[in-house]
Amino acid sequence: MLAYVVRRTLYVVPVVLGVTLITFILFNIVGGNPVYQKLGKHGSASEIKILTHEMGLDLPLTQQYLFYLKQCVTFDFGRSWSTNQEISSMIKAGIGPSLSLAVPAFTASVLLSIFVALGLAFFRNSIIDRLLVVTSLGGISISLLVYIIFFQYTLSYKLGVFPISGYDTSWSGRWEYLILPGIIWVITSLGNEVLLYRTIILDEIFQDYVRTARAKGLSEKVVLFKHVLKNAMIPIITNVVLEIPFLYTGSLLLENFFGIPGLGGMTVQALANSDFPVIKTMTYVGSLLYVLFNLLSDLSYALVDPRIELD
Amino acid sequence: MVGGDRFMRRYFIRFSIFFLTVVTLGGCSNNKGDSRFDNYVHEAIVANVKGFDPVVSGEDLYSGIVMGQVYESLLQYNYLERPTHVEPNLADGMPQISKDGTLYTFKIKKGVYFNDDPCFKATSGKGRELEARDFIYSWKRSADPKTHSDTFWMFDGKVKGMTEWRDAASKTGVTDYSLPIEGLSAPEKYTLQIKLNKPTPLFLYYMTMTGSVALPHELAEFYGPELQNHPVGTGPYKFRSWTRNAEIIFDRNPHYREAYYPSKGEESDKANGLLNDAGKRLPLNDGVVFTEVVETQPRWLNFRKGVYDWIDIPKDNFDSIVKNGELVDELKNQGVVLTKWIDPDLTFEGLNMEDPVIGKNKYLRQAMSMAVDTSELIEKFYNGRAIAAQGPIPPTLIGYDPKRIDPYRQFNLEKAKELLKKAGYPGGKGLLELVYEINSGGVYRQMTEFFQQEMAKIGIKIRINMNTWPEFLEKTKARKAQIFGLAWSADYPDAENYLQLFYSKNASPGPNNSNYNNPEFDKLYEKASIMLDSPERNKLYQKMVDLVVEDCPYIFDVHRKPHILTHGWFKNYKRNFIILNYIKYYRIDVAEKAALRRKL
Repeated sequence: MLAYVVRRTLYVVPVVLGVTLITFILFNIVGGNPVYQKLGKHGSASEIKILTHEMGLDLPLTQQYLFYLKQCVTFDFGRSWSTNQEISSMIKAGIGPSLSLAVPAFTASVLLSIFVALGLAFFRNSIIDRLLVVTSLGGISISLLVYIIFFQYTLSYKLGVFPISGYDTSWSGRWEYLILPGIIWVITSLGNEVLLYRTIILDEIFQDYVRTARAKGLSEKVVLFKHVLKNAMIPIITNVVLEIPFLYTGSLLLENFFGIPGLGGMTVQALANSDFPVIKTMTYVGSLLYVLFNLLSDLSYALVDPRIELD
Repeated sequence: MVGGDRFMRRYFIRFSIFFLTVVTLGGCSNNKGDSRFDNYVHEAIVANVKGFDPVVSGEDLYSGIVMGQVYESLLQYNYLERPTHVEPNLADGMPQISKDGTLYTFKIKKGVYFNDDPCFKATSGKGRELEARDFIYSWKRSADPKTHSDTFWMFDGKVKGMTEWRDAASKTGVTDYSLPIEGLSAPEKYTLQIKLNKPTPLFLYYMTMTGSVALPHELAEFYGPELQNHPVGTGPYKFRSWTRNAEIIFDRNPHYREAYYPSKGEESDKANGLLNDAGKRLPLNDGVVFTEVVETQPRWLNFRKGVYDWIDIPKDNFDSIVKNGELVDELKNQGVVLTKWIDPDLTFEGLNMEDPVIGKNKYLRQAMSMAVDTSELIEKFYNGRAIAAQGPIPPTLIGYDPKRIDPYRQFNLEKAKELLKKAGYPGGKGLLELVYEINSGGVYRQMTEFFQQEMAKIGIKIRINMNTWPEFLEKTKARKAQIFGLAWSADYPDAENYLQLFYSKNASPGPNNSNYNNPEFDKLYEKASIMLDSPERNKLYQKMVDLVVEDCPYIFDVHRKPHILTHGWFKNYKRNFIILNYIKYYRIDVAEKAALRRKL
């Protein structure tokens, strides 16, 4: 097990190198020149030259890339080119709102989709099953933007059930602003996950051990939760764990429409402003998280299923 | 299976009840409104604010608006009179200007204090009194190469010795603030003298701008780069909090100096209730909550619910709200008021005069200009909320001629085709595809497609190239863009602000992005730039416009007409985008607000 973990940890190096290289190349091809934006409409040629030099943009590309790698190792990404804020403080400020929305919504969507999928698998081929499968397919086909516009208009504006938008930084005050975006998050992710988990559970429900369990006279509750669900957990865990790294950037559209000052909006703003220090930090941290959770996902197989050995 | 069915039914029902309870309880505790700040102005800002450093973000409109409530400059614009004009703000009266127009002497108001802040260590956090040297320090920051200021253009080449001071700092890599600048001195505590290289009448306008505000040296020394997050000024408001990309709150400055609501305005101001608060002490409210709302729908819905006090009607909502130029009854009954005015701005297609195809062929540019149907553009993309531009100078600015007709901005396809033939491209034959660079996002794509269709009518093929804003800037500033779409909002109320867009010494990376170079224009521009407002100067302005109209370095599109909705409780709204310190004039009728919000 330890050897496996060490080996997988070493894989991080080429993966992260690849990510940093691609990010760097993309920025230099399509990123635009941030100097012009920083200096505004009156920037002179000499000011452009000075700032280009100070930002290190006149250095050879290899040197710029090595500097980027040094930052990755030291975790010191400096300041944003656009807002002049320390990137660490930007992330610190944005991660709370992003996770406050993402974690409860993600947890609820996972639990709810497993619950619905179990139900559909139980009532397979019934009217309920067909209706919910069609609904799920329909749900997937509708853009997130449509849900946002519809629910914000009806539930918040017309019915006044939720605030239209806004955010309160206090721990207790933020939740009222997060419920509606959270519900929309759950609804939009439900379709995909229900269909996937239903298929996974249906694969299990026809297995011999399930028939044996029923033949032994076990209750449906025990069959579903103790036998079927446990065996269906491996693909479910894979799916869930691999989605976790994406939570830290929140959801751009939800954050923008509901005024949540999270990392999703911050990243998109950085892209629009060619704010490379922020872009590279977000991609680097994102890639690290992805690799880490990939490893955790593999390790969790062994925990869930004793038949799996990692070597 | 029957037992299983019962179990699953219970399972579904229990889970559904739990889910619905969570949602309902969450929802029921909501929508309490924003009663915390009833006597505060609530304003939605349509873009994210960059920061509070006047020399770093001074040119960013939205940062300028928020800073305008905390920081103050020597002069300000009159709030009610039109055309607006400069008047004293921190200056104790208008400056004395030497006969040759190069020496300005400002007396600073006494007894003006900076907001309390921990940066004032010597006074244990109590704000100290403003002195003339604070301006010198603040302007040196603008010249300091290390700040990468976007406001240095205001002083560059204008204030004696300032460019040299900056160059020396750039050369040595060390900025020594103790080194004097020849053109800046404080002979007394409350006297500031500014020596200019040549007469610059527009300098008075610069003294109203964000880049010229007073900032205490203690602030920069205490916070360093974090100054971006901590404004400390002398203004009517003091900083309370900023949740980046969400909300900025300023409270009334309890120590704000004596300043009063104006007693004079335009003729219509009295009838519109804009003089009801004449002579009252400012600010007229307890503070301001700026909410950064990039998306249109939440901005609109929050206005309709009474969260924000005013809004520029979104394009998609316009037709259902305004019928025949009037507000619909539903909104009138809710006490909502519609205000319209012409914004001193200009939207245009820039044509790169250094481009070997477009830049060298005047007839081609004239043909393109004549082929754009501006009235259709106004209907399709502005809901009629704009007027066709007949040159670069927008209405309301000194130098605007309302009678001017641009012969090449009269939509006429036949004439456009004739001009195209004269250009050597009959029916567009022989002309390669032209490239139109635009900033991606918003309605720019559709507007450019409209331009593409208009050009196709005379046989000109246009390829649209979408860019991020930095890419777009790089192309225009590096003179690589062939055609580009832009807008320019006035920095000050003088036509010079638009004419400088055609001065050859301002060519890219300066603001002359079409790289227009006409020695005759330059000569006139240089002559006019040292003249005071006068009929003679206006004649020079008109001659410059004649040249630009004939040469067509721009296809002039429109001057926009904002249509603003305000709630009935929101008093004294009169806007001009040049005026940034406007919040202090607004009054909230709290009782009326409570009554009207019940109707929303």
